[in-house]
Amino acid sequence: MFVRNICKHPFLEIVDKVKEDYMRDYIIYRLIGMTPILLGISFLAFVLITLSPSDPAEVALRVNEITPTPEAIALTREQLGLDKPFFTRYIDWLVASLHGDFGNSYVNNKPVFHEIITAIPATLYLAAVALLFTVIVSVTAGVLCAIYEGSIGDKVTRGLVFLGTAMPSFWVGLLLIWLFSVKLDLFPTSGMQGFSSVILPAVTLALTYISTYTRLIRNNMIENKQENYVLYAKVRGLKESTINKHIFKNSVQSSLTALGMSIPKLIAGTVIVENIFAWPGIGRLCVAAIFNRDFPIIQAYVLMMAVLFVVCNFLVDIFSALLDPRIRQGE
Amino acid sequence: MKSRNWLLFSVIICLCFSLVGCGGNKEKQVKKELVYASTKDIRDINPHMYGGEMAAQAMVFEPLVYDSKDGIKPGLAESWEVSADGLVYTFHIRKGVKFTDGEVLNAEAIKKNIDLVVANKARHAWLDMTNQIDHGQVVDEYTYKLFLKKPYYPTLQELALSRPFRMISPKCFKDGDTKNGVTGYAGTGPYILTEHKDKQYAIFTANKDYWGDKAKIETIKWQVMPDQQTILLALKKGEIDLLFGADGDMIDLDSFNGLKKEGKYAAILSEPIASRAILLNAHQPITSDRKVREAFQYVVNKEGIADGVLNGTETVADTLLSPTVPYCNVALEKRKYDPEKAKQLLDDAGWKMQQDGYRYKDGKKMTVTIYFNSNNAQERTISEYMQSDMKAVGVDLQIVGEEKQAFLDRQKTGEFDLQYSLSWGTPYDPQSYISSWRIPAHGDYQAQLGIEKKKWLDDTIGNILVEFDKDKRQAMYNEILTYIHNECVYLPLTYSRTKAVYSPVVKGVGFNLSQYEIPFEKMYFEQ
Repeated sequence: MFVRNICKHPFLEIVDKVKEDYMRDYIIYRLIGMTPILLGISFLAFVLITLSPSDPAEVALRVNEITPTPEAIALTREQLGLDKPFFTRYIDWLVASLHGDFGNSYVNNKPVFHEIITAIPATLYLAAVALLFTVIVSVTAGVLCAIYEGSIGDKVTRGLVFLGTAMPSFWVGLLLIWLFSVKLDLFPTSGMQGFSSVILPAVTLALTYISTYTRLIRNNMIENKQENYVLYAKVRGLKESTINKHIFKNSVQSSLTALGMSIPKLIAGTVIVENIFAWPGIGRLCVAAIFNRDFPIIQAYVLMMAVLFVVCNFLVDIFSALLDPRIRQGE
Repeated sequence: MKSRNWLLFSVIICLCFSLVGCGGNKEKQVKKELVYASTKDIRDINPHMYGGEMAAQAMVFEPLVYDSKDGIKPGLAESWEVSADGLVYTFHIRKGVKFTDGEVLNAEAIKKNIDLVVANKARHAWLDMTNQIDHGQVVDEYTYKLFLKKPYYPTLQELALSRPFRMISPKCFKDGDTKNGVTGYAGTGPYILTEHKDKQYAIFTANKDYWGDKAKIETIKWQVMPDQQTILLALKKGEIDLLFGADGDMIDLDSFNGLKKEGKYAAILSEPIASRAILLNAHQPITSDRKVREAFQYVVNKEGIADGVLNGTETVADTLLSPTVPYCNVALEKRKYDPEKAKQLLDDAGWKMQQDGYRYKDGKKMTVTIYFNSNNAQERTISEYMQSDMKAVGVDLQIVGEEKQAFLDRQKTGEFDLQYSLSWGTPYDPQSYISSWRIPAHGDYQAQLGIEKKKWLDDTIGNILVEFDKDKRQAMYNEILTYIHNECVYLPLTYSRTKAVYSPVVKGVGFNLSQYEIPFEKMYFEQ
């Protein structure tokens, strides 16, 4: 489908056509499959909030420090449309959400969509830098560990990786602030001011992923080393660096899939890091909303994260199908 | 070869860190900016509404009069007169004051502001003042008259509060109103809000044309840091200059004492400001018995709490409201820690000690539950302390920490035996605080439901507020404070204080009457 020979046997062209059709069907099939999942999630996001013991009307009053008298509650219920039956509310909310209207925040009365849109760039920025760190460090460390399997460097790195996975991010974050900011005075403790301020939160966020991918790449490469093609290459007398290049290419594919899936995780995982580092992203928006019981924001956040996961999953699958003919051909 | 590669790898990683780090170093400048760290953003500081931080509102917007330790002082009104019947207040507006957008402050502007607050009285239900205002009148350019329906005595105190009776330029009204937001924040106060980055920081610049003593610090940066630990680290690094807060909001006690011991920072406490008490719900089976409630007064070792748990930062409370609070210097029986007396009272009430070390009555174990806001570490420790005191006299105290909203919901429904109660502190105590006892959404109302003269209590509170004769008012305060003390609905623990921790270069740090305000305008740098 992608690399076509200039001159091809007619039979091969038919095979390509079949593959193309299959790919198209596969995408359509997956897209249709996504619809009920998304609907289900939207329903869950809505119903979970409704099940919460707090009365949204009262919450909306209280966050603005208005005494919730019965009259005020009744008025707010009407304003928020809470007096309507459950399913009517759900359908209204869903239809409006599809148009990008998630209602207004209870706390500041600004549109939720606006709140989320203004917070997203900061989170994306943080997640992108974290992803960059993850890729640079885990590929370098993973490859080195695999090449020098069993060396002291390998053992030390694996030990660090193990530690990195085990340490909770709020703790790592504070330790990093203490060391690099307070003691060494290299970075600001928190806030979003210039590039230097993104380093510590991004490292904190990336640490867990660095650990995972270092191990993944290392193990894949070690597995690949046992393959026959490596033996053959060695027998042919190829340079070690050339062999390693081949091993790396073959091992990195499965890691790419895993990396793709970690993008939504990175974005959703910013919640704690953003709070520690006073990073003005959606993670903080969500935590503040939870504390204030700002239901419209929580609903929108849950829905958005769910969509992000489903869409990323979909893209990763398509991507894998493109890379791996076995998936593409439905074998 | 092997080790060379590893070395290279480590060097690259280190370089990445150090190179980027270079950008973070800033040159030290002559200090003109004070950085104050808060867990909360200032949000919308519309002075007529409740969506913003009070401390920020009070920096920018001013009232007609200020409340202070020495009584009411002139604000935007230079002087005032009160009619003999207490129904008409005449304010003489300060001449030559302008809002920071250039609009002149005159009687017309004052009237517009107060009218808007009164028109939106549903939102100010907690403040009886809004119900008491009949109308306002512009007499001449600089004279404003306020007519009340009844001689509401705390009129001047409530006009002085941080919100809602503060003045914003009429140019900032949105469609002639403020309840749906404002178009700008032009006030007359010592500071001007010059920059606000949502959820990140706000910059306040000193108002050069301020009518009173001008602020000495040029800019105040209100830095938002949601995590308390980060705030402490930032203080250690010198990124922030000031922490200020009441009731563990900004600084927990351990950190406060830790910082104080370190000696690198100044750490001060205000005078006792608010009352920390436990509500004993008279509307629940076990605590409905007055004898049980009285016994509980002797069970808890308050000194132990004040010294042990609160590290001596709060003083023991014998009565719900401190005698230093206006009208509250009432002779009431002091109930000291006396477990023997408590045991006797519980015995009298029919709760007999059994072999398992707990008391029973009609086969039912004496189990009561205290609820607290789980975010408040202090309240958890106090509860645990009380638990052991209670156990010593055979009472099984269960401790349940709940999320803030759930805790507030419980207050409203009254489904608690014991619950924390913190008064609002001066200048809200006593009038606004006792006024709130009449509102069913408050835990106080729910806990008082079980006492015999609840209706009388509510009516009397209503009457006190509109009793213009000071002596009569005092007599009525005596009555209700004595009654509530004798009914033992509150177990007073301590009087809380506001805390401030700051870098030693900052001078002039003090406290206003209200724990929610921060007097930035009095601070300066030692240089």
